[in-house]
Amino acid sequence: MTVKVRFFARFRELLGTDILVEKKSGMVLATVVKDIAQKKKEGYDAIFDEKGNFREFVIVMRNGKRLEPAETTTVTVADGDEIAVFPPVAGG
Amino acid sequence: MLSERELDRYKRQILLFGEEGQEKLKKAKIFVAGAGGLGSPISIYLAVAGVGTLTVVDMDVVELTNLNRQILHYDRDIGKKKTASAAEKLREINPDITVKVIDTTIDKTNVARLVGSSSGIVDAMDNFPTRYLLNETAVHKKIPLFHGAIRGLYGQATTIIPDVTPCLQCIFPKAPPKEVFPVVGVTPGLIGMIQATEVIKYLIHDGRLLTGRLLIWDGLESHAEEICVERDPKCPVCGGSHSPDKKSETIPVKSPARKKK
Repeated sequence: MTVKVRFFARFRELLGTDILVEKKSGMVLATVVKDIAQKKKEGYDAIFDEKGNFREFVIVMRNGKRLEPAETTTVTVADGDEIAVFPPVAGG
Repeated sequence: MLSERELDRYKRQILLFGEEGQEKLKKAKIFVAGAGGLGSPISIYLAVAGVGTLTVVDMDVVELTNLNRQILHYDRDIGKKKTASAAEKLREINPDITVKVIDTTIDKTNVARLVGSSSGIVDAMDNFPTRYLLNETAVHKKIPLFHGAIRGLYGQATTIIPDVTPCLQCIFPKAPPKEVFPVVGVTPGLIGMIQATEVIKYLIHDGRLLTGRLLIWDGLESHAEEICVERDPKCPVCGGSHSPDKKSETIPVKSPARKKK
């Protein structure tokens, strides 16, 4: 099955975006993102903490629907899913 | 009533939303939290649009490193209080409005008093702890909050209508880490303009507000994206007043009130 992962802003700069990945069905969402992010340490570190969890401020969406941090490790992806990973900014 | 001078000053926008719309702007009291990168363009454009009372709050002094983006402040203002610099410029830009400035740090002890009975709060802050304070006050007083934030060439904006849309805490339960953020002036210029546009639309009851939607601007790609944001029923700030029958689409904005001449 194919899943599309979209990184935004700084995450896009580090990891690219609109990445299509072929995965076995039933894979956990966090693992899908982690597999891509691991290709570049800086990108991985920007998104995940030392324990391998999404950093608490990172916004993760699946098909336009926001996921709670805990859900990202339990929700599995399905064919055609679009995952968006976004870092809020704080400057003004 | 609009004076002859005001009718003339705002002639071109009265073509857009009528004298009635202009009166609404004149009656409005907008609270701009911050006179920096976002606060500068926001307050300038709200001033020229004729928002009747603008209150600008900041506690900083103008520094040389501010001047690549904080367009209210000039080279000659270095060392001057940002509020004094802002008041001077805004009153010159439009002497037909009332400009109030408050030189203080917004904190939990003064935020409710500072905001007072404003018609809207504009988030032009550079940190999330103060944004959360503004959000709590907005929710408590049921005053709209116009959020914007930037970093580098990236920005985000959304309009928060208490009891209707998600609040800032629903959208960003955890603040991004504190940092000395990189920035080029065009980014707060652009995001600030989205916020100021939202304020004007809200005041004149026109168009569709950026409610229930987070606009994400990627200046490197020249690409804007929006993501739907929803209320968090467990939100510690607004969750208690959650009304499941109210959807974010049902914003208190009437049908367009454009006046054609």
